Amino acid sequence: ISDSQDVMTPAELIAKLEEAWLNEKFSPELLENKSEVVECVMEQLTHMESNLQRVKKGDAKASFHRMEIDRIRFVLSSYLRSRLQKIEKFFPHVLEREKSRVEGQPSLLSPEEFAFAKEYYTNTETYLKAVALKRMPLNLQTVDLLKAVPEPCLDSFVFLRVKEKQENILVEPETDDQREYIVDLEEGSQHLMRYRTVAPLVSNGAVQLI
Amino acid sequence: MDPSEVEFLAEKELVKIIPNFSLDKIFLIGGDLGPFNPGLSVDVPLWLALNLKQRQKCRILPPDWMDVEKLEEMRALERKEDAFTPVPSLYYMEITKLLLNHASDNIPKADEIRTLVKDIWDTRIAKLRLSADSFINQQEAHAQLDNLTLMEINTTREFLLDSLNFMFKLRSNLQPGSSKGQLTDY
Repeated sequence: ISDSQDVMTPAELIAKLEEAWLNEKFSPELLENKSEVVECVMEQLTHMESNLQRVKKGDAKASFHRMEIDRIRFVLSSYLRSRLQKIEKFFPHVLEREKSRVEGQPSLLSPEEFAFAKEYYTNTETYLKAVALKRMPLNLQTVDLLKAVPEPCLDSFVFLRVKEKQENILVEPETDDQREYIVDLEEGSQHLMRYRTVAPLVSNGAVQLI
Repeated sequence: MDPSEVEFLAEKELVKIIPNFSLDKIFLIGGDLGPFNPGLSVDVPLWLALNLKQRQKCRILPPDWMDVEKLEEMRALERKEDAFTPVPSLYYMEITKLLLNHASDNIPKADEIRTLVKDIWDTRIAKLRLSADSFINQQEAHAQLDNLTLMEINTTREFLLDSLNFMFKLRSNLQPGSSKGQLTDY
């Protein structure tokens, strides 16, 4: 757990989880995993739940805590589900990205997600082989899953809100007779543009997908 | 995003309630609330306010902007301007709907409020449809939409983004040798 986690209040932690949830929901590609946030949130929830076990039934405060726990659980589950959906959808590419990651770069997948992705890959291979490939002529019995499975479309459009002012963001033209131009992203403003241009800004938290 | 998920986010907004019970401060993960004393107003998130109201443990106070005169002014301004005017709250639609559905007895002139907010919403959605239409027609690559709320964006999100992405792929396919035109599952 990095130093920055120590000074984060629980409220800030929950805010970070919600930001991660929205970014993951609206981004066309799988984003860096936020396992530290997930782990800290799980800790908070387990701690609160164990407190509630010790409280007698019908306690007024207990219902408030329970409702809040349910809300946080929903966001957490939805976030993890979003990621699993993308892992399943882009599994060969996700594994490839993780394999070619250099030392020191944050990982794309949590250890559990990595295990899941590998299993999914093996299962898909086995399935394709058993159902179709083994009946093919010998020279057609392999499938390059990296080629067969479509990559995420980074040119998808996204809505975003600017958290930290950015200057001179290049907007590429849609058609050949248009020219590229630059825009400044003012803090608090909202925009609609291609994901590819803003992907690094989502990564470093300068913009929030909405 | 499902509208109920937008509503979920809206439920974090703080509203003033007048509780009819006593409770000392509670320390939620998201922040501290209370203490609660009968007759004294306290700020709580909307999700809690609604729950307490349903259990008849409080009265909810309408937000400052939920006032007939103020909304009439906003409606007039919205109808006059071509651009989107600033909204009283990022979640004005959701808050109005939730309060009018669950606490209309606490909202003076609830019916008028309902109509006014709906009129403002309708005007804005009509503007949004025009903007989206022109965005696609002009094949723009960027748009700034500062005063739009999440719920408004969400009404057009799926259709607009899918259309833009699909058009991009069709256009990319016109360029020989481009790999960008992969048509994924639709």
